[in-house]
Amino acid sequence: MSDAIVEYRGISKFFAGIRALENVDFACSPGSIHAILGENGAGKSTLIKIMSGVLQPDAGEIRLEGKPVTFPTPDAANRAGIVCMFQELSLIPDLSVADNISISDPPRRFGLIDSRAQIARAEDLLARVRCEDVDPRSLVRELSLSRRQMVEIAKALGRKPKVLILDEATSALTSRDVQTVYDLLAELKDEGVASLFISHRMHEVDALCDTLAVFRNGQHIETFAKGEKSEREIVHLMIGRDVEAQFPPKPPLKSPEERGKPLLKVQGLKWETKLNGVDLSVCRGEIVGLGGLDGQGQKELLLALFGALRDVDGEVTIGNRKGIPSSPAGAKSAATRMALVPEDRKTEGLMLGMPISDNLLAASYGKISRGPFIDPALARHAVEDGLKKLQIKIGSASDPVMTLSGGNQQKVVIAKWLMIDPDIILLNDPTRGIDVGTKQEIYRLMRELANEGKAILFYSSDYAELIGCCDRVSVLYGGRVVSEQEGDDITEESLVAASLNIDVEAA
Amino acid sequence: MRISISAENRPIAIASLFIVVILLAGTAYTLSTTGTAPLLSPRYLLQLLQTGSFLGICAAGMMMVILLGHIDLSIPWTLTAAAMTATAVGGDMALPTALAVGLAVGLLNGFGVAYLRIPSMIFTLGVDTVLRGLMVAQTGGFAPQDSATPLMLFLAKDRLLGIPVAIFVWAAVSIVIAVILTRTGFGRSIYATGSREGAAFLSGIRTRFVIVGAFVMSSLCASLAGVLLTGYSAKAYQGMGNAFLLPAIAAVVLGGTHILGGRGRYSGTLVGVILIVLLNSVLSIMQMPEAGRQIIYGAVIIGMLLVYGRNQRVTS
Repeated sequence: MSDAIVEYRGISKFFAGIRALENVDFACSPGSIHAILGENGAGKSTLIKIMSGVLQPDAGEIRLEGKPVTFPTPDAANRAGIVCMFQELSLIPDLSVADNISISDPPRRFGLIDSRAQIARAEDLLARVRCEDVDPRSLVRELSLSRRQMVEIAKALGRKPKVLILDEATSALTSRDVQTVYDLLAELKDEGVASLFISHRMHEVDALCDTLAVFRNGQHIETFAKGEKSEREIVHLMIGRDVEAQFPPKPPLKSPEERGKPLLKVQGLKWETKLNGVDLSVCRGEIVGLGGLDGQGQKELLLALFGALRDVDGEVTIGNRKGIPSSPAGAKSAATRMALVPEDRKTEGLMLGMPISDNLLAASYGKISRGPFIDPALARHAVEDGLKKLQIKIGSASDPVMTLSGGNQQKVVIAKWLMIDPDIILLNDPTRGIDVGTKQEIYRLMRELANEGKAILFYSSDYAELIGCCDRVSVLYGGRVVSEQEGDDITEESLVAASLNIDVEAA
Repeated sequence: MRISISAENRPIAIASLFIVVILLAGTAYTLSTTGTAPLLSPRYLLQLLQTGSFLGICAAGMMMVILLGHIDLSIPWTLTAAAMTATAVGGDMALPTALAVGLAVGLLNGFGVAYLRIPSMIFTLGVDTVLRGLMVAQTGGFAPQDSATPLMLFLAKDRLLGIPVAIFVWAAVSIVIAVILTRTGFGRSIYATGSREGAAFLSGIRTRFVIVGAFVMSSLCASLAGVLLTGYSAKAYQGMGNAFLLPAIAAVVLGGTHILGGRGRYSGTLVGVILIVLLNSVLSIMQMPEAGRQIIYGAVIIGMLLVYGRNQRVTS
């Protein structure tokens, strides 16, 4: 193990007496791409935080190139060449791309920031991640999520890493950018950089990494070379039990007559420059997918239908009523009730600092109140029901929701909406950044809800999900639906082609 | 052995402990100088609560706004305007007039913050200044009636069962606010909106309505405090509300309400008010010169907030 760049021995970390990591040995050697696998809550994030100096281990030692070291701050770790790209974006939205890239150590002239050198530096780094289209002077706020993530990678590269940690780096990327990241990691590998790659997408891990380490319950279970174990064995190691088929079976495809009248019908929906005439319909009992590249109007479409955007134009029929709801409050309380699971659960879906129970009840105060007063018994029942229905694992309902793992947080968002018994459910990438087990539970739940007669509109950035879950898929491009696919015609090929607005037959 | 107190209750416990410390320190002082312990007599404590009730009612309203992550800087002149308009109208209509002024100011503040989206710190400061101008204009040309009505005198000065009526008013306001905050959808929506407005909005909470409602509550409380204060000093006068703004904010924050919204309990605000009133009173009993009093008062607020701030790192 003497050739390792960095080595961790017997690392343990406890939070309020709860084990996050216990006696973990881990090492990475130069010129390797190391995957770290595990469910949410397995200790991956804690390990990364210890590696990058955000947290201090309670026990154990770190050796950098054979010498014992400590990293009291992230800056110290960066200086030692250990650079981490966090899952939560660490860019400052109101600063320019160039400012963000050089934020910790800007080039200086006479003690002041040399903005010209800073921009040149940003251009170099952006070119390295093939984001020449991003202007270093533009504000981060103006970029799409995918571009921001690429800027984040450029920023990490700017710190000249010896060990580069990528935490869910590709979860928000478009497929083109994912390829760029693959190429980049291959280049870095040749340069002798050790990369640690954390992802929930098995095919990425398979394509990219040479060594795999599996974590479970705060312990390092096993490390092995790629190809030594089958995907099935790996999943088994991760969750400690076998899993059945990933997606629940779909019912046979119905003809338009069998489907009946659409519960949600949209024609010519327009909003600012993002939506340019969207047409689609969703009937009771079906799951309709929204496909396409990131930022083609999917998010805006869902928000517009939910009444969260102003000055939306177009014809929308919900149940028997024409017109777009004037607000989310209107959308959830109309005769045909609507629910939205938003894109970012941490800022849009949850009040992170508030108790789990309050988050669960946030959409249904009307339902649990008698007159103006909340009935504590009704509230307790509602919370218990929600927790049970989605099998949310919690300590106590009065704990802040931020103490839960990502998957359980997302379940809280979903449970909150199921409490109002919605007829139409809008889902914006509900499985982003959550573990395999929870993903499968969400797929099953979606199908159950559809079978109960609900209409589901489901945006996902993962093609496999669209193929596995949806009865029909509408692919958006430039704020319009460019392709509608049904049943077995939904394939990865056809989705990719439609996303790029290429005609499959012609191509 | 460590006693574990939830993060929400920690500031309340610390502030309560500090109240006891002040009482003991004050008593030790009076025992050593005069050999008596007036601080522990029921008469002194009741009087303390009576004078504390004006601040307490202002702070109760202020808390609703701070829970949203906003602030209401128009309290001083809302209080004054309500009191002066009420005495000018006089008679039986005085109290409804004061509350109507409060309602109007609250709606205006709420409209500016929730609909025009002007930061509350700026908007309410502007409203405060406008109200001051209006009151100066009102008294500039002629001298309106400014003496307290019998009802005001009763509410502020009389005693019922040996207890000042003002304390009953404060208690009633406290019960109403505490029930609203813990037991109504509106109250829980205040916490949700203050915690993360975007998430609350997307949960179908009518966040604008909630914001307007909280500002209305704040202004109503200020106007009620104005009515009591008029009764206590037997008349309404310019600048009567000036002494209440910063202590009200301090009381709410000392009571553990997060200044950025979303967290806090009403019992904390009560403790905060008592702490501030008691501290002031004990410092004056100790015949501390004004300069020293201000320094100690400010240092205590900063010091206590430092104590609260420790070990509260957000784990994300």
